[in-house]
Amino acid sequence: MEFSEHIKTANVEDVVLRRPFYQPTKGTLCVTGHHLIFSNRGGDSARPFLLLLRNIDAIEKRPSVSSGTITLKCKDLCVLQLDIPGMEECLNIASSIESLSSLETVSEMYPFFYRPPFLSLQDQWGLSSTEQHYAQMKEIHDGWRVSQVNRDYSVSPSYPPAVIVPHSIDDETLVKAARFRQGGRFPVLCYYHRETGTVIMRSSQPLSGANRKRCREDELLLQAVIDGSELGYIIDTRSSQQAQQARMTGGGFESKSCYRGWKRLHRQLEKGKVLQESLIKLVEACGDQSHSVDRWLSKLENSKWLSHVQTALSTAGLVAECVERDGHSVLVHGSEGTDTSLLVSSLAQLILDPDSRTLAGFLGLLEREWVQAGHPFQQRCAHSAYSHVRLRHEAPVFVLLLDCVWQLARQFPLAMGFSEPLLLRLAKEVYASDYGTFLCNSDQERCVTGVKERTHCLFQSLLRANERQHYSNPLYERTELAIWPSIQPPSLQLWKGLFLQWTDDALHLVEAQKVIQNLVSQCHRPLNEKVENTDG
Amino acid sequence: MEFAELIKTPRVDGVVLRRPFQPTVEGTLCLTGHHLILSSRQDNTEELWLLHANIDCIEKRFVGTLGTIIVKCKDLRVIQLDIPGMEECLNIASSIEALSTLDSVSLMYPFFYRPMFEVIEDGWNSFLPEDSFKDLESMTDEWRLSDVNQDYCVCASYPPLVAVPKDVDDDTLRKAAAFRHAGRFPVLSYYHKKNGMVMMRSGQPLTGTNGRRCKEDEKLINATLRAGKRGYIIDTRTIAVAQQAKARGGGFESEANYPQWRRIHKAIERSSVLQESLIKLVEACNDQSHNMDRWLSKLEASNWQTHVKEILTTACLAAQCIDREGASVLVHGTEGTDSTLQVTSLAQIILDPTCRTIRGFQALVEREWLQAGHPFQQRCVQSAYGNGSSVKVRCEAPVFLLFLDCVWQILRQFPCSFQFSEHFLVLLFEHAYASQFGTFLGNSAAERAKLKLSQKTVSLWSWVNRPQEAQRLSNPLYEANSLVIWPSVAPQSLLLWEGVFLRWNRSSRCLDEAYEEMVHIIEYNKELQNKVNSLRRQLAELETDDPLQHTE
Repeated sequence: MEFSEHIKTANVEDVVLRRPFYQPTKGTLCVTGHHLIFSNRGGDSARPFLLLLRNIDAIEKRPSVSSGTITLKCKDLCVLQLDIPGMEECLNIASSIESLSSLETVSEMYPFFYRPPFLSLQDQWGLSSTEQHYAQMKEIHDGWRVSQVNRDYSVSPSYPPAVIVPHSIDDETLVKAARFRQGGRFPVLCYYHRETGTVIMRSSQPLSGANRKRCREDELLLQAVIDGSELGYIIDTRSSQQAQQARMTGGGFESKSCYRGWKRLHRQLEKGKVLQESLIKLVEACGDQSHSVDRWLSKLENSKWLSHVQTALSTAGLVAECVERDGHSVLVHGSEGTDTSLLVSSLAQLILDPDSRTLAGFLGLLEREWVQAGHPFQQRCAHSAYSHVRLRHEAPVFVLLLDCVWQLARQFPLAMGFSEPLLLRLAKEVYASDYGTFLCNSDQERCVTGVKERTHCLFQSLLRANERQHYSNPLYERTELAIWPSIQPPSLQLWKGLFLQWTDDALHLVEAQKVIQNLVSQCHRPLNEKVENTDG
Repeated sequence: MEFAELIKTPRVDGVVLRRPFQPTVEGTLCLTGHHLILSSRQDNTEELWLLHANIDCIEKRFVGTLGTIIVKCKDLRVIQLDIPGMEECLNIASSIEALSTLDSVSLMYPFFYRPMFEVIEDGWNSFLPEDSFKDLESMTDEWRLSDVNQDYCVCASYPPLVAVPKDVDDDTLRKAAAFRHAGRFPVLSYYHKKNGMVMMRSGQPLTGTNGRRCKEDEKLINATLRAGKRGYIIDTRTIAVAQQAKARGGGFESEANYPQWRRIHKAIERSSVLQESLIKLVEACNDQSHNMDRWLSKLEASNWQTHVKEILTTACLAAQCIDREGASVLVHGTEGTDSTLQVTSLAQIILDPTCRTIRGFQALVEREWLQAGHPFQQRCVQSAYGNGSSVKVRCEAPVFLLFLDCVWQILRQFPCSFQFSEHFLVLLFEHAYASQFGTFLGNSAAERAKLKLSQKTVSLWSWVNRPQEAQRLSNPLYEANSLVIWPSVAPQSLLLWEGVFLRWNRSSRCLDEAYEEMVHIIEYNKELQNKVNSLRRQLAELETDDPLQHTE
């Protein structure tokens, strides 16, 4: 196999591993195609330490005459150190890690080799399809239909084969509307609000350009959404200045004169490089344990991460308010419609929809609004906060979503069916995973590379009974009400569970969480059974 | 009664009460000698029942004849009263002002309060020095209880009984006291059972510019050292501040005269700085502007978290000297009544699991704060809204609140190691500033004795130690942990104490519900466990009763 070309030294003895929460241990280091394996024979734990090479974000080596030190900075923000005897071994190991951790061919990645005994490739990949999702929502069958217009991905390469659109709009109109939207991402349904009968749609920007082009079909499509009612809102996730500038490069926005009945509101959400740099600064601040509170708070502020959290939540709150309080439909888009639009539309659904707040419902939401909707995971998550590689398309949009969800869950501890460990798991999996769920940039790419046939689905795996229990919120009590988050700055907190998970004070909190978990699992299942058994 | 003179308008109808996150209430406002009461005419709507002593300051505004009084409380809550009629409003305002700033302690509410509950255990007798000395005696015979201060002559802020080294007689103590600020000679604060090391506290030595020395003082603290061992003196001031203190007659222990001691200087700020910090912090928390940067800047500018960090760091240092270095420690700052007590009491929470129980924590507050002479009345006369309008010398400072904040930080980091919950800390904060109980009145044991508090008022501990109250304040996650707990003092690990500082600015309904749910689950768990046990017992009994079962 070709991995072996990258591996010059497969085994090194007497390596010392240093990692958070553990005493340094001596053992054997082994490099395989996808993992670093560290085992200490005399050690107390029989299980070797396994690190997915894909998880490694940056590697720093300090070779000396007779030995060398490799520092591994991982995408899950953990920092490890390996002391390797022998300079040559050290250099060999480092170069193997460097090349193997940055392989770009999808079909060579670990999910294509991961075969756990408890999952079968025959299982359904994914939780639900557009058709199944549509079938469940009987109440929309009158006004909306499933269109297969994109079945061969020719209309929009980043859309799934099937999307939900207004009943009155035929496929031909959709094709024309798609030509007027960046990447062919014409407006599609993402959420139907039962009480008011209004909807949340998403799309990409219209290609009105400098000449203020218009497109009748696109206008018709949006008209059909607010058919009868007087008003709809377009939430543009760029500032109005940015939207104006976009016209110079062929993009644009919906003008008042062409889209009667639609009112446009601008809310500037950062994305791309700005967001990535914010993450880098934040992680740097968190890693600096130097002893001044002032410097910490300044650095936290300078990173602007919490401002991004605040803007995302407040924009999502605005969308939810339009739908629930004012009873108006909403279309969300920025430029490409693959980042901030998804962030806002999925957060708005969490605020409004109790079904999306269950464990299965939340994973379903992620599948619909992120995986199927074409968030380019592979590009966005190629590197995390430590990488020295020049940034290309990296941006922690999905991590920002998870942070916002964590803020919601913290403010409404009973409302979510899932718990913080699930969010932490997702934050890790999105960067490096045994599963195929977050591979590739779109549904089309996943089909072409055979992801759905040759890898396992993370979401399916998370819903297995024992995993489900681990990730459920013991305090969950379903509420049918919308949960309106407070976006006052003091209400938003740094997500310590993620950003400080490798520091000392995380240890005790993890312990406490275990106590709670134990109490709850003792309480609900085994004890109940015991009582029944003994009673009988 | 003389209160009546201060109340020109005892009653106004049609007053509207506005509070954050609660519906407005219209009702009748009544002023009594100690309370501001608002009762609505409808049933089932909540009434306001506010102790005048809890009012930090008021502001009044007028629009036509409608007056508005904004009441800012010492527990940081802000409420608004709309009062029809300008004269009524002015009268009410001036009455509140007068009644909330009564000078005489004996006019305070605790002297009028009669408990509506049955006092099972009189809190005034719950934590006597004699009792805690008995515990000490069971561990060591190197210490004795001295009554040298029984008439408060040697040290006005010390209790009548203090623990001192056995070999040091009262005469030596008197001379040492003359050499320490306000007579606060070194006394025992904590005995570490594990290795026999001790923590002592005192006021600064009065070396002055001439470098005076006092053989008796040296003898006293050297008596606590084992042969050949060195001890640590933790001075809560920076070396510069300690140097300056010499000019005013104070000073520090020089290496020449105290060769067996190593001095370490830390930088815990003085009271006035802490008070300013609190005012800035509360201002930042109450600022509803929507900008994340401004919030973090203001939080930073308040320096509150820095103070928390400094105090915790110093306490960790003291605990480290004792537990890890195996050395005895003497802690002092200037007076020895503020930062000194923060350090000694927090070090005990780190070292001693008993202090992390409900009763143990009360004993700690009693020993290290009340008996040790923290001037509660002076420090808590105003809270964050007191704008210094009083002409009196300003000596208010959130020293005790900072201590509670530090305890909260440790509790948050070790959520299973404390028998009490955050509620207990919040309760202590409230009662330190305004209370129906006499516990926090006065500035020292001498003042409390003079006021006859134990005869004339009810102790907070009498209330807290009733079973239902203790239950309410207990931590459902508690699992006794006999280890030393080392808190992280990295800035990232320190959080803003929302339970106090954002308490009135956010709706806590969801958080309260979650907490109740957790308590409920834990209780249900216990119930099931009991049921399992009793069924097991039944089963075992049935099996032994019925010999046939065995033969079958």
